[in-house]
Amino acid sequence: MCDIIWCKKILEDGKPCETVNYLDPYCFWNWKGNVNCAHCGTVYYVHLINGHMYEGPTEQPAGTKPDMMPLYADRPLDGYSFYTMGTEGRTRPFECLPRHFYLGVPDMVKFSIRNRPVRGWRPQPPAGGIAGSYGFNWDIKTLAPDVWEEYQRMLRDGEVKEW
Amino acid sequence: MPEKREIEINSRADTLDLMHPDIRPWPVTPPPDPEWVMENVYAKRKAEDFGKWCEDNLRYEYCFGKPEALQGMKFLCVGNWRLGHLFCSALLCEAGAEVILIEPPEGHALRKLTPFGREEYMLESQITGEKCGLDFLHEMRGQKSVTLNLETPEGRALFRQMCMQVDGVIDEMPPGYLFDRGIGYRQIARLNPRIVWVTIAVRGTWGPYKDKISKYGQWTLEPFGGCANAFIHNTGFPQDQCPRGKGGDPCRSGVWFADYCAGEQAANSLLAAIYWRDELGGTGQFIEVTGAESQMDILDFDISWYGFNASIKARTGAWDPNLNQYEWNPCKDGYMMIGGQTDRLWYRIGMCIERDFPQFGRLIHEDPILKEMGARNALAMLIKTYTLTTRWLRDINRIEAEQKLLEYEIAAGPVLYIDEVAEFPHFKYRPWVCTIDTDHYGTVMFSVPPNNYQMRTPHRVKQLGRPLGYDNYEVMQVYCGIGFDKVDEYKERGIM
Amino acid sequence: MAKDLRECRFEDLPGPKSKEELEATKAPYEDLYRTAHDPNYTSKEELDEMKMTYEDFCRMSFAPGHEFEKPQSLKGIRWMSTTMYIFTPHSVSNLAELGAHVIKVEMPRMGDPMRHCAPFNEPYLYPLHDTRPMTGTGMGYLNANPNEYHITMDYHIDEMREAFYRLVKMSDGLTECYRPGTFDRWKQSYRYLMELNPRFIHVWGGGFGYGPKVFGGSYDILGQAHAGLASVTGHHEFMGGHCTKHSNWCIDWYSGSQITFGILAAIHWRRKTGLGTMIEFSQVQAATRCLGHAAPLYGRFGIVRQRWGNWDTQLCVHGIILCGKSDYPDAINPQDRLEARYAMVSAFQDADFKALCDVIKKPELYNKYAKFKDRVEGEAQVEIYAELEDWAKDKSRSEVCRILQGAGLLAEPVMNDREVYECEHYRVRGTIRWQTDPIFGDILAMGTYGAGLMSKTPRRLYWIWRPVGADNVKIYHELLGYPISKIKEWYDKAWI
Repeated sequence: MCDIIWCKKILEDGKPCETVNYLDPYCFWNWKGNVNCAHCGTVYYVHLINGHMYEGPTEQPAGTKPDMMPLYADRPLDGYSFYTMGTEGRTRPFECLPRHFYLGVPDMVKFSIRNRPVRGWRPQPPAGGIAGSYGFNWDIKTLAPDVWEEYQRMLRDGEVKEW
Repeated sequence: MPEKREIEINSRADTLDLMHPDIRPWPVTPPPDPEWVMENVYAKRKAEDFGKWCEDNLRYEYCFGKPEALQGMKFLCVGNWRLGHLFCSALLCEAGAEVILIEPPEGHALRKLTPFGREEYMLESQITGEKCGLDFLHEMRGQKSVTLNLETPEGRALFRQMCMQVDGVIDEMPPGYLFDRGIGYRQIARLNPRIVWVTIAVRGTWGPYKDKISKYGQWTLEPFGGCANAFIHNTGFPQDQCPRGKGGDPCRSGVWFADYCAGEQAANSLLAAIYWRDELGGTGQFIEVTGAESQMDILDFDISWYGFNASIKARTGAWDPNLNQYEWNPCKDGYMMIGGQTDRLWYRIGMCIERDFPQFGRLIHEDPILKEMGARNALAMLIKTYTLTTRWLRDINRIEAEQKLLEYEIAAGPVLYIDEVAEFPHFKYRPWVCTIDTDHYGTVMFSVPPNNYQMRTPHRVKQLGRPLGYDNYEVMQVYCGIGFDKVDEYKERGIM
Repeated sequence: MAKDLRECRFEDLPGPKSKEELEATKAPYEDLYRTAHDPNYTSKEELDEMKMTYEDFCRMSFAPGHEFEKPQSLKGIRWMSTTMYIFTPHSVSNLAELGAHVIKVEMPRMGDPMRHCAPFNEPYLYPLHDTRPMTGTGMGYLNANPNEYHITMDYHIDEMREAFYRLVKMSDGLTECYRPGTFDRWKQSYRYLMELNPRFIHVWGGGFGYGPKVFGGSYDILGQAHAGLASVTGHHEFMGGHCTKHSNWCIDWYSGSQITFGILAAIHWRRKTGLGTMIEFSQVQAATRCLGHAAPLYGRFGIVRQRWGNWDTQLCVHGIILCGKSDYPDAINPQDRLEARYAMVSAFQDADFKALCDVIKKPELYNKYAKFKDRVEGEAQVEIYAELEDWAKDKSRSEVCRILQGAGLLAEPVMNDREVYECEHYRVRGTIRWQTDPIFGDILAMGTYGAGLMSKTPRRLYWIWRPVGADNVKIYHELLGYPISKIKEWYDKAWI
């Protein structure tokens, strides 16, 4: 095994942990130290050289502090339930992100950052003509009355900006 | 092949002569021949007719027997320190235009630049003995070199006179430099309204954040452009993958990339403006292209994404945040790039890796999240996919990985260094780098223009590099009617 | 103006001659623009645009926001874009921005695969197509197909070939990106099309072109990796770094612009001869083209160019340093909070470097490396940048820039997307602007205008893209004359 640690530690219920901890390639390509299992917390010593497990993974005594946590782990036998980045005490956070939270799914946006309507949400009602043709205007009033009203409110309240 | 001989190496200097193209010719091994390609490549896809048509009509070797698209067009180029104007001029020359590079009497600054200051990596003219830096040599391809001191009235007068006879001017001087000397677009266009004038800058020659000059006269150069358009901020490894200060930092391009962006868009704008002049409008115009903005124009969606939901793009190293798979990762002997986003390609990659590493197939193809194309692009999914892919890659070399993936028709390629690029069979077959036997610098290897493969008007490199002021006599005679005696006098007076 | 052009007297030079005159010419550019373009305005001398400052002249000439009051460069050119992803679409988007009429052809219901590409699966605009209410077009599609009319066509259907040929006869050219031989198999390659329309300009853009790897697929990232660009980008191994991917699909975009250059040159040739051409353009090769001295250095000396992080191999000091503190320690976005720490510092000329050493209180560093040639050596660079970062370790990025700028030196922050958006410079120049898209609403435009400012025939943006097949009626009915019943039939069969 290398680059992943498939944790087989026998847990209190007598079953093995069966969690796959992914040691991401650039971070762990040449690395040594202690890394934890995201599910059961067992700490393993690993020494990787050019991606090869030169030593380990060797289980460390309980209470050993990990030097680094994995970024992502999942449990194949459990229908691929997972621990994503930044799960407290289990996986390390990924800091270099476009904002303070991470989404990973389509962001339903109705207004741009200056609070004018933008068609960034789904579903959109069909609006095309013959053979899927579209004209050159977005009839917000008809197609998205709630957005139109919200926009009118924001206009009244001075929340719509130029920049 | 030259004969074997005994050599003694005591320092780097002793090795330089051994690397000369006469001793170490390029290519080291010959490229495949067309018959081999016909049998083993085109025929395998039943594309013999098409392959033959391409080879007959597009081959590099035939380019010198064909006409040039921009025959008869003439341009002046004035600039220094940067590559934008040189690249723009190079493109125009490759397409057949005549470009005269106006240099100050002391020469273009890039003539003197060489990696790590090593003069032994400069090329010496066999005729004048003058040394020339390789960036300059490579990018001033096709251009003529004329010296003019634009700080003198005579120099400016000659410049103005030449402006009457050209289609356009490429100007990459600091903001307002030529205008302040009475030879900017505004003054010249009064005399030659058909002139098309393109100014190239890093951030601009006007506006609140225009290019600056230091108190001591130093110019703003790349990568200031990439700093000002978020390109550098968005490039590099995140500190989550490499520690900050040890590779986990924003990173500039290895080349002056924004200069290349500005140069090519300057050339495009020039040709579009000349088309309009000749076909529709009748007059020239004023154009400005900047490195920061022309690179921002092609910065995918980055700034617009901020306008959408206030996202500030973060760097993602060698992984692309938009596609999976689409990255390079380390392998046994370097880095291996793999790409394939659509289901068709995604599962082919999986099948290929699975053959050596069955666990990959299981962990990847069983996972319900990874079954949906869009969902695969989530960061967590990149981490999982690439960890397992690298687990496969660590055991194989780049060439092995490439061959395995190509069997499944996956777009995959190793990260190659220039020596490997120069010897890659396909690249030397076309060829992508080639050598040219020059009058001044002997045999020089250069990058072939990608527009070189055309049926009727292929672009081409005819000559590479010029000593300073090499074309003074010819150009002065032809453009200004000035003979060698006057030119010599101007030289003595520091005007040329 | 002196009668003899070779004579240039200072008093003849335009521009303000005194401080008072300078003040008098300062007028808001809007007024100047209006006056200059007032049809009733008769006395040009009164306006005396020659007295304008260079800054005002530029503002008036480029007049951001007034693009639609001016003609289009490529009015009358019609181009077909049977393209996907970024590279080949961009070769055409340049034409569309310059005023050509462009028809983009996509697969029915699916569209360009790039539509399914969004950073981390997050930003999409809806709808993609009426039949797919839950699917949007990802931001990855942005900037590559602006201003184009989008139709759909399944080339596999024999009946659609006639429509394709009708379009060919009515167009000036086509850009395609299918695997070599595919269009030939469908009888849509140049050897067929040149018979229908001898003026036709046919572009094939792809990874490799004719030769041993002709059928190899390609992406931007493959170009970056395979052609050598990645090998020179990134922090060096001893700095802890890896070969680094340029954040954006730079090779796709930059190669696309070079195709545009090939197209424009071919259009010029056609004006003379009436003949089209076929351009075969390899995107991977274009990445080798921008490597500057890499090829000649290897060819002559066998030296393989390597990556050199945020520094410059030919200039020192000219690099990006890590500062101790972020400019926005309390910001909520990690890109502001953690990353606003990098500054580009440039002081490579002797006087600049001396001043820099004085500022950081290391005059001995100047004494040690007083010669340009000495400080650009590798070991020297390691030492000098370490000293700079040591000096900056208790300072924020803006402090570093302020101090160095105060000493007359060049130093600028590495800006992120938000800072670029908020930068006054681009707003004044009109290269970042908000606009209402006809279908998608409020969009922050970062492209088109930045590719090059043109005073008489500027680029312009109508819309960012259209839903899949949005212009089927406009093209098949209004341009090609097919009856609506036919179009409906094709649509029901999903041929369009």
